[in-house]
Amino acid sequence: MWVYIIRRLAYNVPVYLGIILLVMAALRVNDPIYGFLGKNASREQYDRFAAATGLDQPFLVQYVRFLGDIARLDFTTESWDQPGISVGQLLSTAIMPSLALTVPALLLTTLISISVGMISAYYRGRLPDRLLVLLAVLGMSVSFLVYIILGQYFGAFWLNRWLGYELFAIAGYKPGLIHWPRYCLLPVMISVIVAMGYDTRFYRAAMVEETGKDYIVTARAKGAGQAKLMFVHMLKNAMIPIITRVMITIPLLITGSILLEMYFNIPGMGRRLILAINAKDFPVVQTFTAVFAAVFIVTNILTDVLYALVDPRVRLS
Amino acid sequence: MTVRWLQSRSARKFFRHRPAVVALVVISLYLAVAVAVLLGGVTMEQTLERIGPGNLPGFQGRQLAEKRVEDCAMVLDRVEKALKRPSNLRAALGEIRYGLLRVADRPPEELRALVDQGWEIYDELVESPDLNADPSLLPQIEQLERLTGQLFAPLSGWQSLVRQFRLLLGTDRQGRSIMLRGVYSIKVAIQIGVITAFISVLIGSLLGASAAFFGGWVDHVVIWLYTTLSSIPYLVLLVVLAYAFSGAVWQFSLLGRPLSVDVGNTLIPVYVALCATFWIGPCRVIRGETLKIKQLEYVQAATATGFGRLYILVRHILPNAAHLMLINFSLLFIGAIKSEVILSFLGLGVKRGPSWGIMISHSAQEVINGFFWQIGAATVFMLVLVLAFNVLTDALQDVFDPKHL
Repeated sequence: MWVYIIRRLAYNVPVYLGIILLVMAALRVNDPIYGFLGKNASREQYDRFAAATGLDQPFLVQYVRFLGDIARLDFTTESWDQPGISVGQLLSTAIMPSLALTVPALLLTTLISISVGMISAYYRGRLPDRLLVLLAVLGMSVSFLVYIILGQYFGAFWLNRWLGYELFAIAGYKPGLIHWPRYCLLPVMISVIVAMGYDTRFYRAAMVEETGKDYIVTARAKGAGQAKLMFVHMLKNAMIPIITRVMITIPLLITGSILLEMYFNIPGMGRRLILAINAKDFPVVQTFTAVFAAVFIVTNILTDVLYALVDPRVRLS
Repeated sequence: MTVRWLQSRSARKFFRHRPAVVALVVISLYLAVAVAVLLGGVTMEQTLERIGPGNLPGFQGRQLAEKRVEDCAMVLDRVEKALKRPSNLRAALGEIRYGLLRVADRPPEELRALVDQGWEIYDELVESPDLNADPSLLPQIEQLERLTGQLFAPLSGWQSLVRQFRLLLGTDRQGRSIMLRGVYSIKVAIQIGVITAFISVLIGSLLGASAAFFGGWVDHVVIWLYTTLSSIPYLVLLVVLAYAFSGAVWQFSLLGRPLSVDVGNTLIPVYVALCATFWIGPCRVIRGETLKIKQLEYVQAATATGFGRLYILVRHILPNAAHLMLINFSLLFIGAIKSEVILSFLGLGVKRGPSWGIMISHSAQEVINGFFWQIGAATVFMLVLVLAFNVLTDALQDVFDPKHL
């Protein structure tokens, strides 16, 4: 297995080089220095800034330097917008709030969606199934932003007024497990509801796909109960699409939380990135994108390893 | 060609799917509205125009008495201020307008009398301790509203119909018509959806089909390109690209004349960002399908007959993957509309004029004050279109690609 992981990592090196190349090129379409200093910056100001940040070097030199920084995990480049604070500091402070949001959201979404998907598959074609599918399609058709706005209004503002005390904070974040429900539970619930529309349909389809298979007929003929059929036979065999789905969702959760973090003032990675973009904070944008891409690639490799662990038919070679 | 398809098995299967036919009708209606807007049915200026007091509820819904009185007082105040500038009275009065409503062409004395009468009632009303809870004050409020109404020139039958239509869904915080904004946004959404989905499917299928068909280095390059682009989380790529192109000014010369396009203020950053992320889906699917089609007898037959490879690609392979393009177009259309909302909320999407994204993100402030008309209108407009496309996509998948998971 280790050989496989190393080979996959090696295969992804050119991909990662390409990502960095594309990101760096895209960020230079518009001169980042004029973007930061303003269009009226004088020539000397511009040159001084370019020399200080190394942006006066040829593109190739900048590319190699940035790659070197990433490879050595050297994130000491200074933020433009907040002088004295390094990109690495921004990254490390932003990671925990993001994870506090995404990890519970992913776990809850998967558990609930699989359960609902199984219920739907069990009642296939009958009223509960149709109702659930209709709800899922309806839910998918509403914008994420609407859920956030209404979720905040009814979940925090309206509920607090009705209860007479503040159950959920309207916005903000405090580190620590005690504060977690107050600040993070509501955003997590919103993100679960949003993700459920698509996931439920997907898991239902994955389960339904298995119902017609021969081994189910065999198991039924041998007298296996419905519960055993659903939970032991079908669920296990539907694991491959389920894992794919969960792994695809991991990077999506980082990004999906951009909106939640922006709206609920949670100082996570997504919010940092957007703030950096608004402040034209070029080094932060560049490094954050590179880190996001690295996370993505690692999850992809992990997905393949997980396949092999779950399904003995898959060989890592 | 079209007639033949209508008699085919897949067409019969599609039209048996009742919801899909309804969805198709709904989409056609939206398209018709979009074309009407494009032809000048609703202009951007109209969507930015103040047509009444802010936060009016739709369907002439009930408002708090306090707000009704305040809305009247605002009009009275503006007319009174204009009357205090006799030197350019006409110009000052001309500035006061609520869409089609203009200040009546009456002598200043009459206007002043009306305003004074209005203030009298207003003063009485303000005196009362609890305006909202006292039903005995309603006749007075109605009289105040009638007086304020008399300040404006009466509208002709057609004009008042137009005005009622504009006020149908109420007004936003700045007194702009939610109906007009919602309708104009249909054009914006369809424009973004069609352009993005079309370019993405075009690029995706061309690259995907040639990658699979030619193989070798072409395949390697295309795979590398989409693995690379899809290794950046979708929303991050979207945001970074939209950022990279916003604020850019493109300068080039056309026929000897220098031209500069302020790219940041157009929708081009949105298109670039969406297309760069969206072409990957169709590319993967079409590449897979082409690998399958390549092995089929008719392709071998064409090769044996001596047709060129490009001819085979265009004549045999692409048409046989067309159903997948259609499904992907429909999928990407939804994706584009939903992404526009997110980009607009982050300030990276539509810059000028309304869109559903702009409406939803602006309504956040109104929701806190308990005003749901704008967010509701934008959501329903969008929900119906996206729902129709979702249903259509499902039906298309059932008909053309039944084994798809």
